[in-house]
Amino acid sequence: MRGRGGTRSKWKLGILAAIALSVFVSFRYQDSLKGQPATPTPTNNVFSPAHSSLPQAISHFFGHQPEARQPIAFVHKVHVNEVQMECVDCHFTVARGPIASIPDIRTCWSCHATTLTEHPEIRKMKDYYDKGQDIPWQRVWGWVEESHVRFNHAPHIREGIDCKNCHGDVSEMTVATRVVDHTMEFCVSCHRERKAPDDCVTCHY
Amino acid sequence: MDRRDFIKASAAAGATATLAGCGNPENQLIRLIPEEPLAPGIATLKPSICSLCAAGCGLQVRVMDGEAEVVRNGEPGILQMALAKKLEGNPKHPISQGKLCVRGQAAIQATYHPDRIRQPLRRTGARGSGPFQQISWDEALSDVVARLDGLASANNQRALGFLTRPLRGQRQVLVSLFLQRFGAPPATAFELFGEDVLREANRQSFGYAQLPTFDLARSRYVLSFGADFLGTWNSPVAHSLAYGEMRQGRPGIRAKFVQVEPRLSQTGANADEWVPVRPGTEGVLALGLAHVILKDRLRNHSAAGRAGELIDGWSTGLQGFIPAEVEKRTGIAAARIERLAHEFAEHGPAVAMIGGAPLAHTNGIFQALAVNALNALVSNVGQAGGIFFTPRPGMGATEATGARPLRDVAAEILSAASSPIQVLFLNDTNPVFGTPPAWRAEEALRKIPYIVSFGSFLDETSILADLILPDHSFLESWVDDVPEAGTQMSVASVAPPVMRPLHQTRSTPDVLIEISQRLQRPLSLQWKTYEEMLEAAFGALPEKSNPWEKIQEQGGWWSESPMHQAQTTRVSPRNSTRSIDAQFEGRPEDYPFHFLPYASQAFLDGSLAHLPWLQELPDVITTAMWSSWVEINPTTARNLGIVQGDVLEIKSSQGTLQAPALLSPGIAPDVVAMPVGQGHQTFTRYASGRGSNPVSILAGLTEPETGALAWAATRVRVAKLEKSDTSNPLILFSTVLGDEAKHR
Repeated sequence: MRGRGGTRSKWKLGILAAIALSVFVSFRYQDSLKGQPATPTPTNNVFSPAHSSLPQAISHFFGHQPEARQPIAFVHKVHVNEVQMECVDCHFTVARGPIASIPDIRTCWSCHATTLTEHPEIRKMKDYYDKGQDIPWQRVWGWVEESHVRFNHAPHIREGIDCKNCHGDVSEMTVATRVVDHTMEFCVSCHRERKAPDDCVTCHY
Repeated sequence: MDRRDFIKASAAAGATATLAGCGNPENQLIRLIPEEPLAPGIATLKPSICSLCAAGCGLQVRVMDGEAEVVRNGEPGILQMALAKKLEGNPKHPISQGKLCVRGQAAIQATYHPDRIRQPLRRTGARGSGPFQQISWDEALSDVVARLDGLASANNQRALGFLTRPLRGQRQVLVSLFLQRFGAPPATAFELFGEDVLREANRQSFGYAQLPTFDLARSRYVLSFGADFLGTWNSPVAHSLAYGEMRQGRPGIRAKFVQVEPRLSQTGANADEWVPVRPGTEGVLALGLAHVILKDRLRNHSAAGRAGELIDGWSTGLQGFIPAEVEKRTGIAAARIERLAHEFAEHGPAVAMIGGAPLAHTNGIFQALAVNALNALVSNVGQAGGIFFTPRPGMGATEATGARPLRDVAAEILSAASSPIQVLFLNDTNPVFGTPPAWRAEEALRKIPYIVSFGSFLDETSILADLILPDHSFLESWVDDVPEAGTQMSVASVAPPVMRPLHQTRSTPDVLIEISQRLQRPLSLQWKTYEEMLEAAFGALPEKSNPWEKIQEQGGWWSESPMHQAQTTRVSPRNSTRSIDAQFEGRPEDYPFHFLPYASQAFLDGSLAHLPWLQELPDVITTAMWSSWVEINPTTARNLGIVQGDVLEIKSSQGTLQAPALLSPGIAPDVVAMPVGQGHQTFTRYASGRGSNPVSILAGLTEPETGALAWAATRVRVAKLEKSDTSNPLILFSTVLGDEAKHR
């Protein structure tokens, strides 16, 4: 009986430890969300590719990507359907290089300095601009580093692949959302269908 | 808790942690508006110049967008900007020809170093204790200008001192002009492994006061006296390339390479034959070879011309240097001397070189003149496979005349009641680390009332400064250089910044120009920025086909083909009292070993110890890293009861240091050697408090004609430390030493 009692108390100890750890971790997380540090000291202060926090390491390990919460409710639908803009008008380098690029605030400002200036979302943008800040867009697409996937937009555009194939119908969206699951199967099946290379090193290098 | 419980508990903890890890904690810093147009993911290649050593290799820098944590207007944020990502050699550049050494590869860490000084600092604590306060550039420059105006109004302009690493190109011109117009004495240059001895010897022998370039690609016999030309000496990238050509570039021909030195260096390890000569007798050996060549009538003494006349007894066949006599002095067998002399004279083109420790004796000039005469005897100066002197483009760069060596300046400060230097500008040199204790450099610096440093890092010297005006890194500023050696072309390198500055730093030449304008009596320098000065200087170069834009784009100006350099002043009074014997500090009975500090492959003179890639670089010969060590011959070690890893106490007449023993068969039994570079007290998180500094036990002896430190002239005794100190263990890449020692 003594043995059983001992085991039970150790069980409790284990759970206590787990709770303590999670509390500790969430506090660290709260700390990191508190906004700007009090002193102008950079956060990444060593030559290291390591994760800046334990939660970040764990979520990357499990391939978890948080839902993007955008600072401004950008409306793709209006820009594409009503203003009749092309994707490449803002995502400048999509045909030239690996990254489609999210334009910085100066691109937005080139129209919105005079367009729809009273709109509440545009006012938010003006606040950023006046403070000399860029809009802190959050990443929607992409893979965590641990998956070791590299992607280059330019050859896909040259091949004439419609943006929709991978990013869904953006002309029906406000802010972009992840409507297509970029699994390996998704990429490989299309590559095979179009007789594009499907070696491992095409993407994993 | 049994194993199963533990696993359950860990799983529970893991799951909670994962949940807590959701969200996006990365955006805690504000994003700043980019300062430049960017094409993300697309790399561009830009030229630059490596500033880590005096070789002046041209760089090709891969620049791509990235996110940097910066402070703008006092606010920290993330800025998307074009960042230098990788350094390689510039394929068009005559020195580096697309290649780069290990130190150049690591040079990029100097820009992104976490301990870089990010904005002007003013000292707030006691001098040398550390506390500094961040101030604005305007405030900092007002301080300096007020001090200089103070000197000018007291008519005491000579009290401005300028202590710098050796400067070249337009930086040197600007500093000279600044000091001259202000009325201050010329800048004092200091570098531990300076080359003044060799320059002076080459001036006397050949009329060129500069380092030589060896045409190894066409040589068939190379005799090197201590020159580590593949590792750390002269222009190692250019000479390594030529060496590769020499060994493998000519089908059917593989030149012979003989290395003369008491400790087998990285370069020596490549040689066909190793001649472990007694320290300080390299010149005697060279004259012994010359004697045999003359005696056996392989050459006539008049072939050596001026270089031969500088040697006593040259025209009478060097009768004092018969092989038996030379054997007694050098420890090299007479028969071997005869053989080497015949090989050298009969397998042309042959070339002899001298560098490193043989020049760092009190008889350094004699040793260099002896090797020069040996070269002149086989008529290889300016000939294929021989010695060349890189032609200098005429750009107004002047040899600094009247500049006094640091030892004399320090002695004068110490002997005066109040320091004759009231304001000192300190540029990228660290004499507190790199001078022997007998020079009392730190004490002298502490007597100077006001020190302004342009350093990017706090080191043992700049921590004494009252004001720090941090320079840009070389990737962030206009850079220029006129290489002294490494090519037969005439070269002037220049390159614009490859990236915007990360921090609130300013380019030192621009700071000097600004100070000159803000003085009460402005110095009327004709340029508003350093860029303007460079454009004017490069515009004066002969070939009109090279417009300024093209020069910037390719990373410099160079002649189309090899050029011949006009000789400078050739006349020099003959010094017949010059001693051929090296003096050493410490009697052999008390201090039985020669102490040989050497330029570390990773850190050179210690100025690169702050770069972690170089700290973790295993030494080529020993595989040691992150530490200091003392190389000792295995037989000697056995006699003293020393095994590898034992902590030794090395004692000279000047001081004591401790370092672990590394047994090496590539060292003479009466010599112990130690790499320079570790043992910093203050030099960023990566170098501070690591290993020990061999310079701290060196004697203050100098070569008398140049005042250069004779850093190889100290004798020591070696003892095993009974109470083993584990704070600085020997760390070898190849083995875990602690285990090995236990099993022995």
